Amino acid sequence: MRKSRRVSQIIVYAILILGSVFCLLPLFWLVRSSMMSSMQIFEMPPKWIPSPFRFQNYTEALTTIDFLRFFRNTLTITASCLIGALISSSLGAYSYARLDWPGKKFFFGLLLASMMLPGAVTLIPTFIGWRLADLINTYVPLILPVWFGSAFDIFLLRQFYAGIPRDLDEAAYVDGAGPWTIFWRIIIPLSKPPLIVIGLFSFMNSWNDFMGPLVYLNEESKFTLALGLQMFQSLHSAQWHLLMAASTVVILPVIIVFFIGQRYFIEGITLTGMKG
Amino acid sequence: MKFSKFLAGIALPALLAVTVSLSGCSGSGGSAQSEGDSKEGGKGEEKVTLKFAFWGDTIEKKTVTDALKSFEQKTGIQVEPMHIPADYLTKLTTMVAGNVAPDLGYLSSGAALSWGKDGKLLNLAPLIEEDKEFKKEDYLDQVWYEIAPGNTIGMSTAVEGYGLMYNKDMLLEAGVELPPTQADKAWDWDTFIEYAKKLTLDDQGRNALDPNFNPNKIKQFGLQYDPYNMMAAVVSNGGNFLTEDGNGFGLAKPEAIDAIQKLADLMYVHHVSPTPLQTKSLPDMALQTKKVAMTVSGNWALQAFAEQDFNLGVGVLPKLMKSNTLLDGAPTVIFKSTKHPKEAWMLYKYMADPESVLPLIEGGLWMPLKKEWYTNPDLINKWASGNKAHPEGYTDAYMKQTIENGIRTPGFEVKNLDKINALVTPALDLVWTGKKSAEEALKEIEPKVQPLIEGYYGK
Amino acid sequence: MLHKRRIAVAGILFALPSIFGIMLFVILPMLTSLLLSFTDYRIVNTPKFIGFTNYKRLFDGTDPYFYNSLWVTFKYVILRVPLGLIVSFIAAFLLNMEFIRGKSVFRTIFYLPAIVPAVASSMIWIWLFSPDLGLFNSFLEALNLPTLNWLYSENTVVPSIVIMSLWGMGSTIIIFLAGLQGVPRSLYEAAIVDGAGAVRKFRHITIPMMTPIIFFNLIMGSIGAFQVFTEALIMTQGGPNNASLFYNYYIYRQAFQFGEMGQASAIAWILFIIILIVTAIFFRTSKTWVFYESEV
Repeated sequence: MRKSRRVSQIIVYAILILGSVFCLLPLFWLVRSSMMSSMQIFEMPPKWIPSPFRFQNYTEALTTIDFLRFFRNTLTITASCLIGALISSSLGAYSYARLDWPGKKFFFGLLLASMMLPGAVTLIPTFIGWRLADLINTYVPLILPVWFGSAFDIFLLRQFYAGIPRDLDEAAYVDGAGPWTIFWRIIIPLSKPPLIVIGLFSFMNSWNDFMGPLVYLNEESKFTLALGLQMFQSLHSAQWHLLMAASTVVILPVIIVFFIGQRYFIEGITLTGMKG
Repeated sequence: MKFSKFLAGIALPALLAVTVSLSGCSGSGGSAQSEGDSKEGGKGEEKVTLKFAFWGDTIEKKTVTDALKSFEQKTGIQVEPMHIPADYLTKLTTMVAGNVAPDLGYLSSGAALSWGKDGKLLNLAPLIEEDKEFKKEDYLDQVWYEIAPGNTIGMSTAVEGYGLMYNKDMLLEAGVELPPTQADKAWDWDTFIEYAKKLTLDDQGRNALDPNFNPNKIKQFGLQYDPYNMMAAVVSNGGNFLTEDGNGFGLAKPEAIDAIQKLADLMYVHHVSPTPLQTKSLPDMALQTKKVAMTVSGNWALQAFAEQDFNLGVGVLPKLMKSNTLLDGAPTVIFKSTKHPKEAWMLYKYMADPESVLPLIEGGLWMPLKKEWYTNPDLINKWASGNKAHPEGYTDAYMKQTIENGIRTPGFEVKNLDKINALVTPALDLVWTGKKSAEEALKEIEPKVQPLIEGYYGK
Repeated sequence: MLHKRRIAVAGILFALPSIFGIMLFVILPMLTSLLLSFTDYRIVNTPKFIGFTNYKRLFDGTDPYFYNSLWVTFKYVILRVPLGLIVSFIAAFLLNMEFIRGKSVFRTIFYLPAIVPAVASSMIWIWLFSPDLGLFNSFLEALNLPTLNWLYSENTVVPSIVIMSLWGMGSTIIIFLAGLQGVPRSLYEAAIVDGAGAVRKFRHITIPMMTPIIFFNLIMGSIGAFQVFTEALIMTQGGPNNASLFYNYYIYRQAFQFGEMGQASAIAWILFIIILIVTAIFFRTSKTWVFYESEV
């Protein structure tokens, strides 16, 4: 018995380590390319270790574009979206998951339907809307919609909220609590993992969003990092080594945020573990 | 921003779109510009601000931005540079649809011609006529984009010409004579193939002329010919994209088929050129790493090659029937919605002047628009000779060949080109992968292409 | 009942911001594009009502790409959706096993492919898939198997893109992981008392408890797969010979390369209807297999 458990544990580890190698490949590729010359990056079969290490790629990349300003701009947008996404989506999801009201099914259907039409054909109508509101070249079109909730987030949270036992609500209603109290005292504390997931996704989305800033921002002083990275590429040419160096710097915060964020998953277990 | 105003702003357009789309052809829709840019107008005297949209890497961006700044200083006209780092057409399309187009800027040739046809771009002909300082004849004849006679929407942002680039050391090692730089001495196709074979080596070091040559284990290719540039061979064989009268599908005519087949044969019969599959594993820098001895490319590649460390040589393209080359260059246009056509034209002229954007020309990325820069030795010295981006022979092989024998790419004048290409590209995929002959593939799509053919612009 | 009314009012209030937002920012532009799909609209002209012409030209074969891109996209969806669910669920399950040490590190690593920008990862894929020097073909050669042309052959391009996309499954894995945290431990403990083995625990506790999340990933995976786009844009541009001309890429090309916004809208709305039907079917069947604790 013991032995077979041992064996299966080793198999699991083997699978995970093999998977990790594959998953580390892109990052490793990115980092090694960020310290190579443009030419070395493309050598086939690939060289895995840069020789020589060109650390100057980093200084050159970060000074070629206005990195600090783009970083600040991206941070502003990302932070604003993050807060908005968490508040509005959890409110909406609570309603769809646990409260009954007339028209709920219809509006939930509408919510899902809103994700089913490719963005290419709604881009121009949306743009015209923001232009008539005179908000082109501001961050408002990038932030405000998030504050009214995103369909993906609401649907995701709804699935989680729906899994929380109903007896908890019933008991609270009996004690005279209202929906708000239940939401705030029971639902939110019990759904830390999904909320962290939503937070991470929201962070990632705004951090990497390229199309939104491209379409809505005109002045370079307002640009984001995702746009800045594009500056190393052009029709006929690309400064690959600089692009790789800049990309490495840009994803570093994402990795850190993710690493920190996912640790709270564990905390979730103990809380969800208490069952009504 | 008051919320009510915002609400009105976002709800109105939908209603507007509804009414507009239902009311059908109502008016020209050109008046929607009224409120947008007039914020600065209140101060009394009008201060002109132009928006200039462009693409390009960080090097191009710097030169263009500097040029715009110096224009500002010279004229007092404000210019807002709008550098669009990617998805240029998506951004421009959205701006045009939203009635917030820039005043002027780069544009891809397909969009320029179709928007010009629909009257969204300013006709420069009257401005040119009025302008006593500006002479159309000073600029290359091939660079003009015309919708119809008398309706000129602009000229190329820069001239781009094609030629042969090679690693000199590799040719010397193989004992191959260097490619000629003058049109009348251009290699004919057979000579070219023979040399290319000499330059193609398998893993045992045998070249492609050797009877024991193993085409499955090629280490070094004689030539890389990006199928994207296939029009160069087509025009050299006397063919073109459309027939001369503009009514027929030129690529399905014998001259073009022959040329395209010859290119495919480089890969599958002579084995001197990498197939698209093999190209995928070739690095961008194949010349320098000696994976490829010669390549067909536009002058813009010189900017990158100048940074690399190898003995670069240039020559004219090998000829099929006549020695010529392709000339390319997407246009810069002025949008009709501009409220300052005079000032926009001033900026247009300024940016077309090689002197304003000299670093890009000197760096190899662009070729100048003005004829004089191809003939006057003093001016030639400013860009085409004596610097790293322009190796020996450049003035003949690229500069002279482009101005004298440069044939415009289809992008300058073929109507409906994007849609025709959507059929042609997949068909040619089959040729380049060796699955079909050029004749089969092109004849097969001819009936589908025919209804899309609408002739030439400017005629 | 006062109680019920109070809940209904609260429900509407809680949902109101999102209803308002979705209507304004998504549904309204969608309706506009629906209207545009009945017009001749090429960005630069005033839209002109032309009835069903944009739809007719798709079905009567005037448009040579429509059926092809539908077929290509269906192939992708059929491969990608089940594979995506299985692979990411297994990954999440393994990553969540109690005895695993360094969970944080493993989780982060498995999420990395979703973080690294496409410019870098696409280069790796070009290498992995390279017919001459690529890792995959070297592997096949070592096993004495015939090599493949992967992205560069009409037969293998779609499966190759599926493999690529499976790699970036980090988000789905994370959602499953979050879900696994919500499976009450008490259930497992009770099962152990009953003498249940690992397989039975997995089948009778983990899977049922996870059905709401599996359902979510099924729906979102399908919606996403039908709209697959980036891979085609970066890696293949729809080639070779239109074998990876995915539906959404075809819409994008029609809209922004050809400037045919009216036609593009019509094409897009057909996809909308297809996705709507598929989703509706999933919702219908969900009653038989998705288990919400709150509904018991």
